[in-house]
Amino acid sequence: MSSKEDILKKVRTNIGQRYDMPDLSDIKAVAYTDPLAQFVKMTETVGGRAIEVAPGRDVNTLIRQLFPEAREIASNLPELSIATRNPDTVGSAGELNGTDVGVVRGMFGVAENGCVWVPQQMKEKAVCFISEHLVILLRRTDIVNNMHEAYRRIAFNEYGYGTFISGPSKTADIAQVLVMGAQAARSTTVLLMPNVQSNT
Amino acid sequence: MHSKAAKEFLKNTSYAKWHDATFWAVRSKRDVMAQGLDEWEQLREKASAIKRHTISHLDEYLDMFAANAEKNGVVVHWAKDAGEFNDIVYGILRQHDVKKMVKSKSMLTEECEMNPYLESKGIEVVETDLGERIIQLKGQKPSHIVMPAIHLNHDDVGELFEQKGISDEPGNHDPTYLTYRARLSLRDEFLTADAGMTGANFGIAATGDIVVCTNEGNADMSTSCPRLHIAAIGLEKVIPDYDCLAVFQRLLCRAGTGQPTTTYTSHFRKARPTAREMHIVLVDNGRSDWLANADHWEVLKCIRCGSCMNTCPVYRRSGGYSYSYFIPGPVGINLGMLRDPQQHSTDVAACTLCLSCQSVCPVQIDLGDQIYKWRQQLEQFGTANPSKRRMSDAMSLLFGSPALYRTATAVSPLLNLLPSFVIDSRLNPWAEGHRMMQFPRRPFHEAIKEERKTEQAKDHE
Repeated sequence: MSSKEDILKKVRTNIGQRYDMPDLSDIKAVAYTDPLAQFVKMTETVGGRAIEVAPGRDVNTLIRQLFPEAREIASNLPELSIATRNPDTVGSAGELNGTDVGVVRGMFGVAENGCVWVPQQMKEKAVCFISEHLVILLRRTDIVNNMHEAYRRIAFNEYGYGTFISGPSKTADIAQVLVMGAQAARSTTVLLMPNVQSNT
Repeated sequence: MHSKAAKEFLKNTSYAKWHDATFWAVRSKRDVMAQGLDEWEQLREKASAIKRHTISHLDEYLDMFAANAEKNGVVVHWAKDAGEFNDIVYGILRQHDVKKMVKSKSMLTEECEMNPYLESKGIEVVETDLGERIIQLKGQKPSHIVMPAIHLNHDDVGELFEQKGISDEPGNHDPTYLTYRARLSLRDEFLTADAGMTGANFGIAATGDIVVCTNEGNADMSTSCPRLHIAAIGLEKVIPDYDCLAVFQRLLCRAGTGQPTTTYTSHFRKARPTAREMHIVLVDNGRSDWLANADHWEVLKCIRCGSCMNTCPVYRRSGGYSYSYFIPGPVGINLGMLRDPQQHSTDVAACTLCLSCQSVCPVQIDLGDQIYKWRQQLEQFGTANPSKRRMSDAMSLLFGSPALYRTATAVSPLLNLLPSFVIDSRLNPWAEGHRMMQFPRRPFHEAIKEERKTEQAKDHE
């Protein structure tokens, strides 16, 4: 017998009483009168920043202003004319090392914890982590209350990878002192885009 | 033995105080999170019920998880025990000619002692969670499952980084500087590794994804550059679907570190387009046996958040290295006993039965009650402490015989007259760490009798 069959057989034999699946539809999950305000508050709580972008404001100029020192900007978003690298066309993920600012699109935010759902939409997902600073473009109306709503909404594409990101990479592994920028992005900025922004 | 190791730990009083206060602060942060959600207790109940259901239908969910992962193109392996797991991992690495593997934190690979095995085969394994990396460089094991290097202070880490050539400013032990130096050093490792390994916080049966939660982003870095991804997952980590995952995602980090979420909650369904393969290794290593243990199978509900350690008054004051099993604290005591009761029996004494652990456990495991049950079985394992046995025999005799009890309590005040060097001597184990109590001149049962008499007399007046 294979290990799989052995293990499954043993599991089957050793299970005692079988319990039913609980009803999850009656969970009284937190909801907010102003989910956007709560999302902004939580983003700041976890060490990130959220900036409302006025209609008509050019995102390239804004990113330049936010990161005046940035030399290498990586993105495959069509509106990012200032990008110097493209995660779709680099020869390998490692070539994205040394990226100052990576710019990606988030699908929706979660008010209760500042998470943004970022499915992989580029050939090398390294851009989401290897960049010194991460900028996520998010439509300001795309905010859900909590993770129950979030998990009903997430969708995967052919890349088969997606992550919720809330704030910058962080650690407190040395003497419990909180430090931003452990192995991935040292800062995370969510740009809350006006409604007119198309999400394609 | 826990009490002896704890005594060593407590010798450094300022560190012991810091350790206690640090974990109490984490516990307090957890309370703020829990109290911030009206539905907190409801979530704990649902989480427990989902786990009970899933574990008692694990055969079906494992099959579904593996089938869906395979449908996504992932290669799924099944390992009966630690040896088989290590062989499978080595086999995959050899097949891809891997010289160096980066990995994120996995208590399962600690359990299977995978790193030393792979290193003996000539493969370099680099831990990438900062805490894990520190203890790897130091040649140590984790002293907490979420904060593995909590037993070291910034000077220890600073000196270590100087020795290993990671820092370049001798004497600079600032945590921000040290973290930055580790970031640079690990960046090189990510870029030059041939494979990346992750653990898994959850496996989702309905979709075949594995879900990994980190604050550092090291699991994502480990899988973004190398061209091979291997995920190691214990059987009990499989849950039905995303509706269930939402419940656990909300509980895990709030309970464990007092944060509203980890920075990254990452879902892996298949290899990157520019990577070669993704492998999942499902590991049993005793879990299927534990299912049959009617008293203790619910320990399999554990999601490894660490909250039971953070709150435990014994863990906080004795540290992770005082326990014989590699996972410390209340859940570690229970897992150690399931693993090998002969070897880990002395850990069951490291509990005051205050039950704080089970009142915070996000999946409602009755951890303290289970430790109590293990204590009742020590005789059976041949690991009962003989002097405790004699004490409890003596107590049964004393409390079982009213005449003997009355005589003993009548003469006990005489013990107060003994000089302290006699009563607090080594011959009296009670006096170790305690000041011996004063026996009352009049025992309680006599006092209450008299009280009643006076009351009755009053009633008759």
